[in-house]
Amino acid sequence: MGKPMRKVAIVGGATTKMKPRHIDKTYFELAFDAVKEALNHARLSKEDIESCVYGIYNDLFERQFMPDFFVHDYLGMGLKPGVRVTTGGATGGSAVREGFCQVASGLHDIVLVTGCEKCSDCFNYEVGKESPELLQVLRYAADMTWESPTGRTAATVFALPIVAHQELYGGQPTEEQMAKVSVKNHGNATKNPKAHSPMNLTVDQVLKSPMICYPFKFYDNCLYSEGAAALILASEEKAREITDKPVWVSGIGASLDYASMGNRYMDDPRAVAEFRSSIVAAKVAYEMAGIKNPRQEIDFAELHDAFTGTEIMAYEDCGFCPKGEGGRLVDEGIVWLGGELPVNPSGGLLGMGHPVGATGIMQTVEAMLQLREEAGERQVKNARRGLVQSIGAVGCAWTVAFVLERGE
Amino acid sequence: MKMEKSKAQKWYERNGGRIGVAAEKMRKFFQPEVEGWKAIGDPLEYPDKIEIFYKYTYGGQSRFFRELRENKALYGSKCLKCGKVFCPPRQDCNRCYEKTEWQRLSGEGIVVTCCSVHFTNSSFIKKIPFICALIRLDGTDFLMISNIEMEDISQAKPGMRVRAVFREERDGAITDFYFEPCL
Repeated sequence: MGKPMRKVAIVGGATTKMKPRHIDKTYFELAFDAVKEALNHARLSKEDIESCVYGIYNDLFERQFMPDFFVHDYLGMGLKPGVRVTTGGATGGSAVREGFCQVASGLHDIVLVTGCEKCSDCFNYEVGKESPELLQVLRYAADMTWESPTGRTAATVFALPIVAHQELYGGQPTEEQMAKVSVKNHGNATKNPKAHSPMNLTVDQVLKSPMICYPFKFYDNCLYSEGAAALILASEEKAREITDKPVWVSGIGASLDYASMGNRYMDDPRAVAEFRSSIVAAKVAYEMAGIKNPRQEIDFAELHDAFTGTEIMAYEDCGFCPKGEGGRLVDEGIVWLGGELPVNPSGGLLGMGHPVGATGIMQTVEAMLQLREEAGERQVKNARRGLVQSIGAVGCAWTVAFVLERGE
Repeated sequence: MKMEKSKAQKWYERNGGRIGVAAEKMRKFFQPEVEGWKAIGDPLEYPDKIEIFYKYTYGGQSRFFRELRENKALYGSKCLKCGKVFCPPRQDCNRCYEKTEWQRLSGEGIVVTCCSVHFTNSSFIKKIPFICALIRLDGTDFLMISNIEMEDISQAKPGMRVRAVFREERDGAITDFYFEPCL
């Protein structure tokens, strides 16, 4: 394993409000809003940007092949390098990683990482709703020959590992533990003005909400959001000129597991009951950051809670607790705001939203705000070091993990 | 804009025809736009669709679908070096980088994990609820995602034995068969 040639800092960032639909904005207009606010946050102008990275998940959501070209145009970034990254739900995390590589390698000093996504322009005229048609878009992300014709959804390929995990670890996580994650994250979102789904729910309300894909009920699932996020990365030298509150990217790990769960099973039958890419990505990020005991050395985490059960699996995969004990961290209050290791103080994907290509960038912006003590009501006390996890694709094939630290 | 009734009807028919949606549905979702009063500065929604036709080759996996369609048989592929059996089949073993050979399977297997689907995409929304499962077919080292059809879907559990049931009309697609519990 190599190591970065030089330190990389986050010097600014912003997100738009996350919403079910921004009817008054296109994807490139959403991107513009996030970039403008991020530049203001860093007190930079667009002329300071040397290179652009775009996280846009899905051409069909945008109704545009290569939508990055049009974002680059709208942002006025002509003649600068502009590259798009798309790795499923982990698109945002991969975009941040690409930006990191450009700065860490010495290729560029200041890089803009922008993510944006529409989703509710898709519309099913039969039932008069957006949701079945936006899920129809995702149908094309499943293996078109072997998986898509079974009617499986994104929820299905995250539910299957949860059921396998329950089978292997005595029913853990329980439906009640998963419901508590929903209560926690929707509740945290009430402290976040940019959140899509701020709600004060009860465990009972979550448990009684309509079944979507066993064991996930309605409130166990995040909603697709429309929105954008932008982040500005800089070399150490530039970062010190730009801000007195640099946030350092001290560890970064990425892993893409097999797309088919059968292929993972062939390695090890237990692999269908965990997210191997998350384990690898966290381990690599921790090694780079010199973290030996993540539970004690990390102050908060923004984990990819597309589904409540996946957040609990993530506690285990990120080394916060032994296998099969993730649910206890929710029961014991450890991961709640005010607990020993708050997870998703922003509200996460469940509460803040899931603007797919922008999500990993949104999570990183939120972690940056925590480390700059700019997170308002959801501020974690003495947040000095945070973990960001961005995952995506079939039962978490892709994971990108970052360790971020407050600058001195 | 406020279109007169006859013009509006033509708008619904013309645009509905373009995207394959009945005029009455178009009226339902576009009436406020077409016949109502929207301000000139309001966001404007436009009906559209994307459709691509294919004549797709299964390449090295073709025989699986021929055996399925013509012989009601399931085939896996066995690595000539390590002996591991893939189903879904692969022409090449990604462990050994060696060729594989075709191997007939019994069509029975075991559920490794499964769940019931109660909400899904436009293509399958009329079929809910249904079961999706990861199944290890006997004689293979791999998992196949498939559907299990049974009376009480809450009874589908990991560890359950299942067998393939072939549909009468087979087209050469994975949907030519499904699984049911072994008695």
